[in-house]
Amino acid sequence: MTANPYSTEVRALFANPSHSGELDAGVAVSLEEQGMRLQLSAWARGGRIDALRFRAWGCPHFIAAAECLCARYEGRAAVDLESVSATEFMQSLGIPVEKTGRILVIEDVARALGHKLREASNSET
Amino acid sequence: MTTRQPGELLYLDYAATTPVDREVAAAMAALLTESGDFANPSSGHVLGRRAARHIETAAVRLGALLGAAPERLVWTSGATESDNLAIIGAARARAHRGRHLVTMPTEHKAVTDAFGYLEKAGFEVTWLEPDRRGLLEIETLAAALREDTQLVSVMHVNNETGVIQDIAAIGGLCRERDVLYHVDAAQSVGKLPIDLSLLPVDLMSVTAHKFYGPKGVGALYVADRPGCNVEPLFYGGGQQRGLRPGTLPVHLIAGIGKAAEIAASRRASDLRGVAVLRDRLWAGIRDVEGLRVNGDLDGGYPGILNVSVGDIEGESLLLALEPLCVATGSACNSKTQEPSYVLRALGCSDAEAQSAIRFSIGRATTADDVDFAASRYREAVARLRALAPARTAA
Repeated sequence: MTANPYSTEVRALFANPSHSGELDAGVAVSLEEQGMRLQLSAWARGGRIDALRFRAWGCPHFIAAAECLCARYEGRAAVDLESVSATEFMQSLGIPVEKTGRILVIEDVARALGHKLREASNSET
Repeated sequence: MTTRQPGELLYLDYAATTPVDREVAAAMAALLTESGDFANPSSGHVLGRRAARHIETAAVRLGALLGAAPERLVWTSGATESDNLAIIGAARARAHRGRHLVTMPTEHKAVTDAFGYLEKAGFEVTWLEPDRRGLLEIETLAAALREDTQLVSVMHVNNETGVIQDIAAIGGLCRERDVLYHVDAAQSVGKLPIDLSLLPVDLMSVTAHKFYGPKGVGALYVADRPGCNVEPLFYGGGQQRGLRPGTLPVHLIAGIGKAAEIAASRRASDLRGVAVLRDRLWAGIRDVEGLRVNGDLDGGYPGILNVSVGDIEGESLLLALEPLCVATGSACNSKTQEPSYVLRALGCSDAEAQSAIRFSIGRATTADDVDFAASRYREAVARLRALAPARTAA
């Protein structure tokens, strides 16, 4: 146990996960891996993410990174989700390296959601 | 009703350690500097003899708390050293008679790791499983004892769950079979009545910091009875009859002595107080859906309440509980997510063990404190449950 295992950012995101929840009739992807569970759901129009929500079961770093993902990618192009990298959360939130496997779960789910949104968009057009 | 400041920490981890009693701290401070009795108690001069008197007084006080003759106490650095000295020292001292030893997987690491060391050194260890409350059934022990069994080590109060083993019955059986009985009493000394003049216990480990004394000092009780010998682990100046050499820390030993004196005077009222508060805490959380009590709510030490809910991640629960300072049932901040081996031995699933929270109550805990803790626990569980997605099909 380190003296303070959580950065200020992790504490803030964990305490106030304003993007937690599930979007009705949204495009959703779920994954259970590394002992963590994550569901992402999105509303998208014209290739843009209108709303992005998560549900998560895991450690504080995992929950904080899921919240961070939703906050960062809401309003952006859906295709951006396909290049989400765990590294961006590891670095900006100060997540310890031993949690890498868990944050990679977030990367996997985000990329899968991006792919699914693209497929949904293609089928509409 | 007291008003809590936002973020004000609330300590409910008295089973991990207790604050030093102010009277104890004052007694210790008086011995540290040149105006006090700071001398080496082994020195033959006046100041040395004065320091030695503090050691003698401490032994009388701790002996009175335990019902033990003062000369049967060996000062150590705490329960871990006492456990090692008792287990390894007794195993070595009796190795010529046999090399079979008995303990439980629910013991403190200081005990299990000492036995693990002895296994590697060629001793045979039988690990007895507890029942679902964590208790050792005497029939289980009876079946495990053999002609060549030399030592049994079963703790008094479990540090994680608070369950109380029947040390009188265990010790009685050991006496019948001429087996030494060691008790790790780190969690019970100063909290529960102990009378070693009546109990069939040969070796008992004590530590000061669990009963409002300082960290870094403890004792091992060694019964005055044939065959009850331990070999030293350290060698040096011959202090303490060579059993545990090294210059005695007068201020620490005076501290444990003072803490023992205070504990003896208020043990009964302390016990009643923590029982009332534990019941109040339990009443505040008992209807949380899926709550499991780890231990024995009716027969355990009431200063500890260990509960878990299987669908909550332990590390997140611990953070969500802040500003409560409580213990969790997992070591999931470390590189490996390792659920408590004690709780797993009681039949907890990994998820239940990882979500386990140990509330431990002490002298300074108030009714408002436990009400706040109960409220915080309920909120944290509800919040994390609301965050969680449904489980996907396997």
